[in-house]
Amino acid sequence: MRSRFLNSQMLAMRVEGLNGNPSRPTSQDSAQQNTHSITTESSRSGSVAEVTGLKVTFKRANENIFALRGVDLSIQPSEIVALVGESGSGKSVLGLSLLGLVTHNSKPEISGKVSVADIDVLSATESQLQTLRRHHLGAVFQDPMTSLNPTMRVGKQLNEVTTSTKESIELLRSVGVPEPEKRFGAFPFELSGGLRQRVMIAMALAGSPKLIVADEPTTALDVTVQAQILNLILSVREQYGTSFLLITHDLGVASMVADRVVVMYGGQIVETGSTKTILKDPKHPYTQGLLRSRLTLEGTTTGRISTMIGEGYDARTLPLGCGFSPRCSQSTTLCRESAPELRTYSKDHLLSCWLETQSYPGTQSSVAEEVKVDDAYVDTTSPTKEASTYDTHASTPSGGEVLVGDLVVSFKVGSSRKKDSLKALRGVTLEVKAGSALAIVGESGSGKSTLLRSLVGLNTPSSGSITVPPSGEIQMVFQDAGASLTPWMTVQELLDERLFAAGIRSKSERQTRTGLACESVGLHSQMLAAKAFQLSGGQRQRAALARAIVVPPKVLLCDEPTSALDVSLAAIVLNLIAELRQKLHMTLLFVTHDLAVAKIIAEEVAVMYLGQVVERGSTRQILESPMHPYTKSLISAVPGGSRERLTLKGEPASPLAVPSGCSFHPRCSEAVNKCTEQEQLLYVSKASKGHFVRCGIALEGK
Amino acid sequence: MALVGVFSTGDISRMRGGTSVKLKSLVANNSRLNLLLASLPFLVTLLVLLAPVLAPHNPLVPAGPAFEPPGHSGFILGSDSVGRDELSRVLYGMRTSWFSALAVIASGLIIGVTIGSVAAVAGGWIDTALMRFTDIFLSLPGPVLAIAVVAALGPSLVHTLIGVGIVWWPFYARVVRGEIRALAARPHLEAARLSGVKVVKRTFRHLLPGTLPALVVTASLDIGNLVLTLAGLSFLGLGAPAPSPELGAMSARNLTYLLQDYWTAVMPGMGILILALVGNLAGDGLRSLMKDR
Repeated sequence: MRSRFLNSQMLAMRVEGLNGNPSRPTSQDSAQQNTHSITTESSRSGSVAEVTGLKVTFKRANENIFALRGVDLSIQPSEIVALVGESGSGKSVLGLSLLGLVTHNSKPEISGKVSVADIDVLSATESQLQTLRRHHLGAVFQDPMTSLNPTMRVGKQLNEVTTSTKESIELLRSVGVPEPEKRFGAFPFELSGGLRQRVMIAMALAGSPKLIVADEPTTALDVTVQAQILNLILSVREQYGTSFLLITHDLGVASMVADRVVVMYGGQIVETGSTKTILKDPKHPYTQGLLRSRLTLEGTTTGRISTMIGEGYDARTLPLGCGFSPRCSQSTTLCRESAPELRTYSKDHLLSCWLETQSYPGTQSSVAEEVKVDDAYVDTTSPTKEASTYDTHASTPSGGEVLVGDLVVSFKVGSSRKKDSLKALRGVTLEVKAGSALAIVGESGSGKSTLLRSLVGLNTPSSGSITVPPSGEIQMVFQDAGASLTPWMTVQELLDERLFAAGIRSKSERQTRTGLACESVGLHSQMLAAKAFQLSGGQRQRAALARAIVVPPKVLLCDEPTSALDVSLAAIVLNLIAELRQKLHMTLLFVTHDLAVAKIIAEEVAVMYLGQVVERGSTRQILESPMHPYTKSLISAVPGGSRERLTLKGEPASPLAVPSGCSFHPRCSEAVNKCTEQEQLLYVSKASKGHFVRCGIALEGK
Repeated sequence: MALVGVFSTGDISRMRGGTSVKLKSLVANNSRLNLLLASLPFLVTLLVLLAPVLAPHNPLVPAGPAFEPPGHSGFILGSDSVGRDELSRVLYGMRTSWFSALAVIASGLIIGVTIGSVAAVAGGWIDTALMRFTDIFLSLPGPVLAIAVVAALGPSLVHTLIGVGIVWWPFYARVVRGEIRALAARPHLEAARLSGVKVVKRTFRHLLPGTLPALVVTASLDIGNLVLTLAGLSFLGLGAPAPSPELGAMSARNLTYLLQDYWTAVMPGMGILILALVGNLAGDGLRSLMKDR
């Protein structure tokens, strides 16, 4: 939503108060300003930020987009509030409103009140807003590469918001940038993603603001780096007493740092309470649904994930009743006709739902109700059970084997004069039995996607061997399903083409097969006439899957098919893939950065780091008794749960400069001298069968 | 004025896209206006097709006294040095110019799209060879080459068109090659490849339709340039021979009467102006429409 409306670099500049007035007042000036034009927060006790009855409506072409429909929120000093919601819930607009940035674009209709540090943001003049942003507010956005000016050294950018180079370097040091003097002169592109986000946080911290609005600050980062940044947020709060509004789609992230969770749906707050209450005892069906759809490493869940009905909220319509009622299985006539208000449910727990407030002041929902909730999660993806005709096409599991032997893939990068070789894969050996499912887990740059692409011939191996079924019997599902569908072709045309290429010339047969495939993936046959841009996110992923399985392949490769989807949608797609795999007896190779996804989808896991498999074994072996230090820290970095936190230092090295010896040693907490020199081999564990680990030390320790 | 046109058109044809900045900003946010602008070429085509019906007189035969000012003796735009109806001559002249421009664009598209797409899809040394070949033609000065061709083959409209057509395709070849290479890096092409779609079908179904927006905009912006180039050549006498109505030749021949009987030279110039403007406006309109999508 945000990126559609505003350029984040401009936002970052505005937030730093650079717009129009580059000269920064000295601290004396600012103190004076504080006294006469602004009533400081200390003069009135209470909240740092206060939002009352905020409504924001954007107007585009001939449509209204009801982004916020009456929101009340207050943030206390040094409180971390997590604002959780799916795309289109209005969470980013709320964040922008607090920063006073919504008024600047597309002339939206705004009503209500927003005050930060006792300044009315909505009626403030531009100069008041600048003062506010300079002294009381900080902002961190999702992609620091676009928020930082790419043409300016980070030090110079920092100096614009601080008073001196010394202060800037101190700030960099305080947010954990190693060698701050050196980084001071670096351009943003020379820094890694995690370091850039630290620089953004340093900029947000300049002028010791009362509130920092962080909009998905960790979404673009790897899990281990995400854990570092979340820790940093906690320590900043500890050190400076800064309040945070942490906007996120991930309840796991919220649970790690937030004091209070605010759940938004359809431009309204549907439930808010302490993090513990929301996670342990959610009352709103939407919050409950979110929690059920969420994947964690805890618990024994395998197989189906419970999913919510329908897809995300459409902000172009103004519902008469509760915004969630079309997706809520318990909705009554009352829900559909009259909107519930946000009321106190119990102490510090506010809820906007007719179902619960009706039974209020009853203490807990009865067991019967719980059961009802369970039933409510109707299996929307389930296609017809009798797909026996289909099964005949899917041959017996023979021939679905995937063998990879010492695969090396390197790319030539750089200019023609100075060519570097990027080793994306450095000797990968894998063996996937026909009909089984392997999850390939790793952070960015681990080579997991390269591996997948090499299997289907999209990348040419430099050396090594690959044994896979012939090209027609291996299919792939891409991360961005929308982009993998040719924009000007209909779903029907795409499926038809696939069938034609597979040698099916009879038109009626093609039609039958198309129909069957649609049924299998839960795509309505009306959607066959649609083009990619006319489909919703979920439908696009279904259409992409339909093309992959319309001629049942022996091997299905999935390249992070759910990472771009909202939580509830990701659950549906995962269920669907698992189901198709069972039905069509496919071998599944599933690339993901998320161990929780791997746990649901696969029996075996291969963990990759810098182009090598560092650990391999059954899902249980990997998750319950990981051996490699990298796997251990990866597991501990997954948000949620109450595991011991092993925060990994640093970030993955660039595949252009692979460290000597064991490539993981610069980040390894257990590294000894010989690790820097001696390359590790993939050892077989004697204790547990089929468990491989690329670390001699870990193996001996076992 | 028109002489300046001849030598600058070569340059203008390299810098695609015209129309002032102010007009552009006016046009930018109005899809209905853009639609109207984009439909202008069709209106012009209709107008010049109907020239035989609309023209009040035969353009080749005198219909009254010479040098009648506009509005006199039934000559709406006046009459020329031998008493032919200026309006009829301008209408027929516009017809010739318009279709000549469209013909050159069409030939440019056919050659350019073929060479550009083959180069992009084949890649490797074929790409290099074809693109260097294109560069050779890109470096030829259009009007000068046309003069050489006409000098060699004799003055005729067809020869002029051949001369211009030879240098008019390289730009399209480059546009198509660039667009295809950008599209080829997108996942939808990889997905099509994994579906088992063969390379020829892939090019026609998954790549070429994607180049359409860029091509339509480039081509429509080019109409104006071509009209000006062709008019400039005809001004220099490199067009259809004497009696046939040609806008460039008419303004050149009547330039001597500019001070006394201005309309004889200005009216053909207005015809050129209208055609060139329509081309540019349509291009801008289409560009904005494509951007909105």
